[in-house]
Amino acid sequence: MEDLGKIHQLIVPCFGHDMVFNLEIIVMTWIVILGLICFGFLAARKKNMLPGPLQIAGELLITALFGLTGDALDEKLAKKYAPLICALFMFLVVCNWLGLIPHLEEPTKDLNTPLSLGIMGFFIAHYTGIKAKGLKRYLLDYCHPIFIMAPLNVIGELAKIVSISFRLFGNIMGGAIIILVVSHLTFSIILPPFLNAFFGIFVGTIQAFVFTMLTLVYISVQVN
Amino acid sequence: MSYDVKTWVDVAAFVGAGLSMGLGAIGAGIGEGLTAARATLAISRNPEASGEIFKTMLVGQAIAETAGIFGLVIAMMLLFVKNPNPSFIMVAVFIGAGLCMGFGAIGSGVGGGFPAGEACTGIARQPAMTKRLNTTMLIGSSICQTPAIFALVTALILLFSDFSALPLCPTWAAVLGAGFACGIAAIGPGIGDGLVAGACCESVARQPSSATIATTTMLLGMAVTETTAIYGLLVSFILMFKTFPATDAIAPAMALLGAGLCMGIGAIGPGIGEGLTAYSAVGQVGKNQKNSAELVRVMLVGQAVSESTGIYSLVIALVLIFVV
Repeated sequence: MEDLGKIHQLIVPCFGHDMVFNLEIIVMTWIVILGLICFGFLAARKKNMLPGPLQIAGELLITALFGLTGDALDEKLAKKYAPLICALFMFLVVCNWLGLIPHLEEPTKDLNTPLSLGIMGFFIAHYTGIKAKGLKRYLLDYCHPIFIMAPLNVIGELAKIVSISFRLFGNIMGGAIIILVVSHLTFSIILPPFLNAFFGIFVGTIQAFVFTMLTLVYISVQVN
Repeated sequence: MSYDVKTWVDVAAFVGAGLSMGLGAIGAGIGEGLTAARATLAISRNPEASGEIFKTMLVGQAIAETAGIFGLVIAMMLLFVKNPNPSFIMVAVFIGAGLCMGFGAIGSGVGGGFPAGEACTGIARQPAMTKRLNTTMLIGSSICQTPAIFALVTALILLFSDFSALPLCPTWAAVLGAGFACGIAAIGPGIGDGLVAGACCESVARQPSSATIATTTMLLGMAVTETTAIYGLLVSFILMFKTFPATDAIAPAMALLGAGLCMGIGAIGPGIGEGLTAYSAVGQVGKNQKNSAELVRVMLVGQAVSESTGIYSLVIALVLIFVV
């Protein structure tokens, strides 16, 4: 119970400032990345008209996500951004499921992971917006309905980063805390597996999907 | 008459338990009653499907009750988990945890009733879609519980963290404020989420071919509706984990309490408003699948505008915490 909300950190002094590394999270993120690379390699290794089970899984996932991207963006942009959306979804799903394995922890439990992905999505959306509309129309969109509202519109845009990253972080970390406390109170009898299934598989999948879709829709709102 | 610390802590635990379960019972009661009302209506419309409708009603009510059970859990913890070394800060912690969970359960309880009720009506209208409706209801009403889960997390952190080393004066207000921020902020998004999930169940029953796009729109709409609850969680985290300098003056403490209240109450309206936006969008996406991308975009922009008052509350709460 004592490690409620505690993180193992490596603190390196650097020119008068402290650089903080959350070691556990870095290791877990690499586990996820290596797992995904293995999955991609195995699924694409024996491409065949009669697909193997991994190839089917890969194809279903890619088709569904390419379809969703195609619904939200026009053809040219969809082709450009669909790989990003696929990668984001697969990374987040595996991150959120990682806590099911004993001794491993979800990288998304640390605010740094969702926050950096949220900031990445923010910059991609605005870059696409500037490229599609031109800088002048992009800036004029902030002065809507009148130019006095510009600072509030900027705050509204920045609040999107806060909300998208805290939604993922709050759900995953909340689930982890509830599992920890309930396991402690029930001496890990009966309840924890069900809680793990609910928060790990169900909530984890839905939140990964929501994060991906919101990133996609933010791009689509900027373009149109 | 003067009482020792232990008595005060016990008193606070009893008050907190009462608030947690008492307030927590409001939402679940309304939500479950609503479900049962829709189920009786559905059975009278299509008596042949009564078995399925009855089953769906019971499952839906069980999920709508989750938030109330969270309230019960916190109340039990407050009553039976005894701390060996009581300190004065625990008075505020216990009342804060009780308030947080009690308020937090209201919205999700009411909200959980909408999808269950609409699923019952939908089964009467379209018995062939029973399975799909049950799945949609399960997903929808589980996501409705998210604000209540946020409140539960805040209450658990309050109960199990050690605040006794911190200075008593501003910390009592920070802890109470954290409870208010996360608890009251959960009311609006909980109800709003319920509206959206209900619209999705109705849409699936009316237009079975639009089930996939309606579910996707529902997930997006619910996620954005929850934004203000997330702001509440954010403010309560800051209030719980930031160390405030010790002071004897009352004003800094009141600023922290005010920050919590500001964020909590400010989140109610945007939560319900965004829910109404998404409610309408999900319904129309079912009827007009061709223009769904445009509808989703308008929904998101509309929700962002109706959320702006929630963002103003967040800004004022942050100013109260960091500047004043």
